[in-house]
Amino acid sequence: MTDPGHDEANDAAAPAAQEPDESLRSMLRGALREEAPPPNVLAGVQKRIRERSKGKFYADGWSTAKHPPLNTYLVTSLLMLAILGISYALLSPLVGSPVPVRNQPVPVQLIPR
Amino acid sequence: MADRRDVAAHPVYLGGGVADAEEQSERKFIERLAQRDERAFNELVELYETRVFRLVLRMLGRRDEAEDMAQEVFVQIFKAVSTFRGDSKLSTWIYRVSVNLCKNRMKYLARRHSEGEDELEPVAERAALDEAKGVTFGDIAQPDRMVEGYQIERVVQQCIAELEPDFREVLILRDLEDLSYEELSEITGLPDGTVKSRLHRARSMLKANVERKMGEKIR
Repeated sequence: MTDPGHDEANDAAAPAAQEPDESLRSMLRGALREEAPPPNVLAGVQKRIRERSKGKFYADGWSTAKHPPLNTYLVTSLLMLAILGISYALLSPLVGSPVPVRNQPVPVQLIPR
Repeated sequence: MADRRDVAAHPVYLGGGVADAEEQSERKFIERLAQRDERAFNELVELYETRVFRLVLRMLGRRDEAEDMAQEVFVQIFKAVSTFRGDSKLSTWIYRVSVNLCKNRMKYLARRHSEGEDELEPVAERAALDEAKGVTFGDIAQPDRMVEGYQIERVVQQCIAELEPDFREVLILRDLEDLSYEELSEITGLPDGTVKSRLHRARSMLKANVERKMGEKIR
């Protein structure tokens, strides 16, 4: 392998970097083109930072998401309402209805002095 | 380049072509990054992820390694952005971080003899070098020419992978990423003259290597 540092001290004498002939450049571009889309880097980066900072950064996954998860909020709200409704329906028969008081009030007797 | 247009269109970089306004908005953006503003960092990743991934993929030649490395680049940027003094453009600094991390990874992989596990397969047949001039599958109508073009691409990929990291770096930054000599100099930390001579040698070596493997001269 050629040492990159070799002869570079003599830069003045080194051949100038002419622009490459187009065949070489287009060959390079053809060989190193990227067809597949790049991966989603952001989620992985956030995860690494969260782990390495022990939760100091990107601790809240929802608020730092690329797009706020509105559906998640909506589903959570509906779920909570459903749980409350079911709880009420289950517990209300156990409470029963209030029993009226039938006792007559005791007449007031005044104690003479 | 699509992502360069994206950068220009981003609010951070809006300035109507006025350099001062652009510099000012970049400075503000960097301040937000230095203050560990997570939303600013998200914007940075979205702006540069395509360019960084493409660069590290070309440097490393392996998609699995490139995905891991692209993430690592941004983690290191997050850690070190407070030390960025603004002597160069932010994009140049990001390139420098990317290239340095790639070179370290390449040395590590070389030590582990991982280069032998490259995705490139040996070339069974040889084809005329004319077929490789920007050849893509879409450009080739006949299947036999498509196979030839594919083989030549493999040869070129193999030859690039065989280049020393320092040569590969300048070749990719100049001939594929279209960076200026000034930017190359800032990224590599080398004088202009050294960058030019290294680039010249990188091209010569690549050309000679491809010609040797193909048994033909590049016209």
